[in-house]
Parts: sequence; C-alpha cells; structure tokens
Amino acid sequence: MSRKRRQFFLELLRIVLVILIALILGFVITALVSEEPVEAYQELLTGPIPKISVGEDGLQMRGINRFGNWLEDSITLTLVGLAVAFVFKANQFSLGAEGQIYLGAMAAGIISLFVQAPLAVNISLALIAAAVVGFLWGLVPGILKAYVGADEIVSTLMLNVIAIQIYNLLLIHWLRDPTAGFIGTEFFSETAVLPVVIPGTRVTIALFLAVAAVIATWFVMARTPLGYEIRVIGANLKFAEYGGINTKRAIALSFAVSGLLAGLAGAQLATGLVKQLTLGISVGVGFEGIVVALLARNNPLAVPLAALFYGYLRTGAQIMERSSDVTREVVLIIQAIIILMVTAERLLPLIQAWWRKRRPVEEIISSAESREAADVL
Amino acid sequence: MSFETVLMSIFSAAFVATVIRISTPLILPALGGLLSELAGVINIALEGIMLGAAFAGVVVGSYSPDWFPYLPVWVHPWLGALAGIGVGLFLAWIIAFFHLELGADIILAALAINILAQGSTVFIMFALTGDKGSTSTLASPALPTVVIPFVNNIPILGPLLNGANLTGYNILTYAAFIFTGLVWVMLYRTPFGAHLRAVGENSEASASVGIKVKRVRYQALLLSGFLAALGGLNLSMGYLTIFQANMTAGRGFIALAAVFLGNKNPLGTTIAALIFGAATALAAQLGTLDVPNQIIEMIPPFVTIAALVIYNLRRRAQIAANARKFQERMETEHGAI
Repeated sequence: MSRKRRQFFLELLRIVLVILIALILGFVITALVSEEPVEAYQELLTGPIPKISVGEDGLQMRGINRFGNWLEDSITLTLVGLAVAFVFKANQFSLGAEGQIYLGAMAAGIISLFVQAPLAVNISLALIAAAVVGFLWGLVPGILKAYVGADEIVSTLMLNVIAIQIYNLLLIHWLRDPTAGFIGTEFFSETAVLPVVIPGTRVTIALFLAVAAVIATWFVMARTPLGYEIRVIGANLKFAEYGGINTKRAIALSFAVSGLLAGLAGAQLATGLVKQLTLGISVGVGFEGIVVALLARNNPLAVPLAALFYGYLRTGAQIMERSSDVTREVVLIIQAIIILMVTAERLLPLIQAWWRKRRPVEEIISSAESREAADVL
Repeated sequence: MSFETVLMSIFSAAFVATVIRISTPLILPALGGLLSELAGVINIALEGIMLGAAFAGVVVGSYSPDWFPYLPVWVHPWLGALAGIGVGLFLAWIIAFFHLELGADIILAALAINILAQGSTVFIMFALTGDKGSTSTLASPALPTVVIPFVNNIPILGPLLNGANLTGYNILTYAAFIFTGLVWVMLYRTPFGAHLRAVGENSEASASVGIKVKRVRYQALLLSGFLAALGGLNLSMGYLTIFQANMTAGRGFIALAAVFLGNKNPLGTTIAALIFGAATALAAQLGTLDVPNQIIEMIPPFVTIAALVIYNLRRRAQIAANARKFQERMETEHGAI
C-alpha cells in the first residue's frame, strides 16, 4: 500500500474510532437520565432513514420528511464546512462563519423580498448577493490579519456580534412583518425561493449548489495558484514567504472565499429552508461547520461525507427529542467529545509515533506554538 | 424623555451603580481571560465556563437544603458557589489537559468546552426540572449582598459604594474589584507573575531558563477557570437568582474583548469591562430616545476591533523604530572602527 493510502486509511480509522467512542459516551450519558435509553438512542441512530415497506398499495415509503430533514441539514453543513475548511487550510483560525451566514441570509432575503423577477433571475441574484456580502464581510478580518496583524480569533468573534446585530437591526426596524405574531418577515414569494427537487421535502436545488461548491473548492484548493499558496502558507508560513508568495494577499483571500461559502450557506437557510427571515436564523450553524471541517480534515472532498454524518446525528437528535424523554442537546455533548478527541493529536500514540517518523521535527511542535510563530511573523 | 433627562440620569450615582452591577460578570471573566492570554494560552471558553458554573451554582444551591438539612441556611448558597467554582476549574482543566498533554489545539478544545457547557446545562436542566428554558421551578438562593458600613450618609460616596438604594452590592461585585488588585500584584510583584508573563512572551526562552512552561500554563488556565466561574455565579446567584439556558449571552466573548481593549493589563481590562458595562447600561437609558438597542450592542465589538488595530499598528511602529535605532547604532559603531 502506498504511503498516501496508508495515511488516508489510518486517518479514517482514527476518525471512525473517535466517533464510535463519542457515540458510546453519548449513550452512557443518555442512560443516566432516560427511562428508556435504548429506545431513545435507537431513534437517534435510525430516525433519519426512511422506512420502506411493501403494502397493499405497492411500495410505500414513510418518513420521507425525516430523510429530507437530514439532506437539508447536510447541504447547509456542507457549505459551512467548506467555508471553515478553506480558511483553516491556511492555518487561519477564523471563527467568523456564523456572522457571515447571518449577513448572507440577510442579503439573499432582501433580494427575495424586494426583487420581482422570473425565478431563475431572482434566485441567481439572491445567491450572488449572499456570496458577495459573505466575501466582503470575510475580507474584513482577512485584511486585518494579513496587513495589520490583528488576531483573527478576536476580530472574527467581534465581527460575529456586529453582523448579528446588523441582521437584527434591519429585521426589527425595517423588514419585519408587523402583522406577524413573532419577529420575522413575510414569507418569500414562490418565484423567490429555491425550487424543490425531492417532493415532500425541503431539499432544493441547493443540493446541486452544494455539490458544485465542493468541486469548485476542491479545484481552487488543488489546481489553482491561490490554492497552492494557501496550502503552503498553512504548512509553513516562513517557507511561503521565502518562496516569494504574496502571503498577505493569499491570507486575506482565504478569509474572503471562506466568507463567500458561508454567505451561500446563509442563502440556503433563508431561501431554501426557512423561506423568510427570522430572529436567530442560524443558531450556531457557523460553529457546527467547524466540527464538519475538523472531521473532514479540511479536505473539501471529504466535507460532504462529514456533513452527511453530522447532519444525520442532528436530525436523529430532533427525532429522538420528539419521541423520547431525552433532549436533542445530547448531540452537543457528543459533538464536544468528538472535537476534543479529533484535535487531541497525541491521544492515539500509535498513530502519533508513526506520524512522528514521517514529519520533520519542526512540524510536531504543538499548533499553539506554531500559531505564536505565525503571530511573530 | 428628553435628551437632557437622559444625560442627567447618566451623570448620577445611580447610573454608576448600575454600571458596576452590570460590569461585574464581565470584569471577573475578563481577568481570567487576561491571565491565560498573558501565559500564551488564549481561553475562548470563558463563555462556556461561566455557563457551567452558573448552572452548577443554582442546582447545588437549591438542592443543598434537601441534601444537607442539618446545615445552617446561609451555607447552602456557598455550597452552590463551591460547586460552580469546581465546575469552572474542571472545564478549564479539560482544556489544559487536552492542549498541554494531548496536543489539541487550544482554540478548538475551548470551542468544544463552550459547546459542552451549552449542551450539558440544557440537557441536565431538562432531566432535573423537565424545562429547557430556565430553572424557575427550583428555589435557588443568592450569594449575600454586602453593605459597606458608615458611608451611607455621605452624599455621593454612599450610592457609589453601596448601590443606588444603599442596599449594597453582591459580594462578587466587591470580589471583582479586589481581584483586579490581586491580579495586578500577582502579575507584577510576584515571581509567579513574572514567570507567567515570560511564558507568554517567549515559551522557549522561558523553558531555557528553567521555568516549567507547562505547569505555569496549567495554573494560568485553572485561574482563568476560577475567575470565569465567579463571573458565571454572579449571573445566576446575584444578578438573577435563576439559571436560564444560554444566560451568559456572549458575555464571555465580550470579556475576552475587554482583555484586548484593556491593553492586556489588569487595570485596563477592568476599565474596558466597565466601559462595556456602561454601553449596556446606556442602551437601557437610550431606549427611550429611539436609538435602536442593536446599535449600542455593536459598540463593544467595534471598539475592540479598533483597539486591536491600533495596538498592532503601534506595536509595528515600535518594532520599526527599534530596528532603525539599532541600525543607526551599528552604523555609528562601524564608523568608529
């Protein structure tokens, strides 16, 4: 087996192992509070699969909407996961996806509310608006980091607060439907929402958008100069600088492209799923994207798989909450365990030992130290 | 209300008292964030630690009379506080252990703790009370308020030191200011503080002179867990006497912002937290003036980004100036030879 393949399978094994351990721990926690933990966990693990039965009327499928929920969520998670993976690949810890999602949703929502045009024009405009707004909002921390040296963790967290407040401000003071019982806009018209491709669900043409985004992100990362620059910067910033790469430009762009993808995720939320703008439209989806990117090891082609897995877990949790005495928050606990164990590089010393043999010593210093080094530069 | 009346109400002792009360749950975690930041281990889990501690305080505080009926009544809130501090330390320890021992990235480990706190507080709350929103069915106690004696008859000093109604502040409010002093003394007047700052400045150089980098970072993270826990306890056992899902509402991140705005020193951090508290208090006052709340809420993050930019530009200018000086000195010395 070639080295690359062996590395791939070991990585896969590691992640599968981590997920298994997290699910087992999740079950232990469920068992502590639930009267019927086995039933609850069964719902969590099998809920999203549609149940096919052969009845009198021929083939019947129940639970198509659950299956739809799973796919819908996975589409959003794929877009956010790509966004996070793109900027993490450059070793930049942007946590700004959440704010970019809000502004992307706002941009798409405004187009959907106010532009009267044929469907194709309308939704194209909405998607473009979301992408542009996400790109520009992402560019802000990118420029601050690349040209000023402002810590991206703090700046993106602050920009999230500002973005969400801008969203709330516009929604509450300008866009809200005063006749609605809660704070939200009117529903978008038929010509302003993404067309459904699987009847009975909210799986829209965003499915194709997500697939296209995966391929495009992979292409940019693997086959273009910008992707090359980002990969080199992520591996070794000093080397990238000595090699004559315009690191500032590439870093700023890595933030901006990430913002573009997160903006599209916002458009999917607004024009694909919710079909109106509401308060708290995203509730932490930006941070869920980090889990997806982590599980996918920042590899764009693995992002949809990670998104499908994590979307499955989230949908299963909602079904479990409805049909048992366990709340869906158990998934947040499982998620935290997964993050901790996936990032704990020395947790599986066997792999680590093998890893050590292959990598130069400089790269093994903990990522915190390499971050410091990046700050010094 | 006219602009003048709003202005009047701002320049009053009562307003200052409100600011102090609102700022307490920002100052305490900010001091914690400062210590870990100075040790080179940024802690973005202040939010989660506050949440976990706030929850543990309420739960243990309200169940304690059932568990220990023979204890005097005043003990129960303190047992709650102890539990909150315990949870804070435990969560901080998880970050420290995964980062320092297992090589996990500190940002992601802290993010996991935020998610863990967010999920497990609601999860346990539902298991205990059947409610996902708040612990309104639990009778949770408050930590005592303290009235400073003898100052109530002095016009401005009274309301300032003992709050608008002269009934005193929550004990943790005094703790916030006392810890500001203690953290300053510790950082700048003790060997531990010097080690902590050295580790943050340059961990390799510190290690080379015999400072135990890992141990110092453990201590810094645990201290930040302790202080963030106090901030969380102030929310659920002082500011309010109830736990609500996600009741920290981003305070942990604003606290982190105060560290950066405060130029990474204790006094500056506390002042920055007070400014953020004042912005929130102002929002309540300006609500009567048709200024949207959301705009006021944007002030702290906006000021923080501005401060971050100014800080970095100044640091760059300084480095450039030093480099120029060094070059000039080299040239004159070279000329002398």
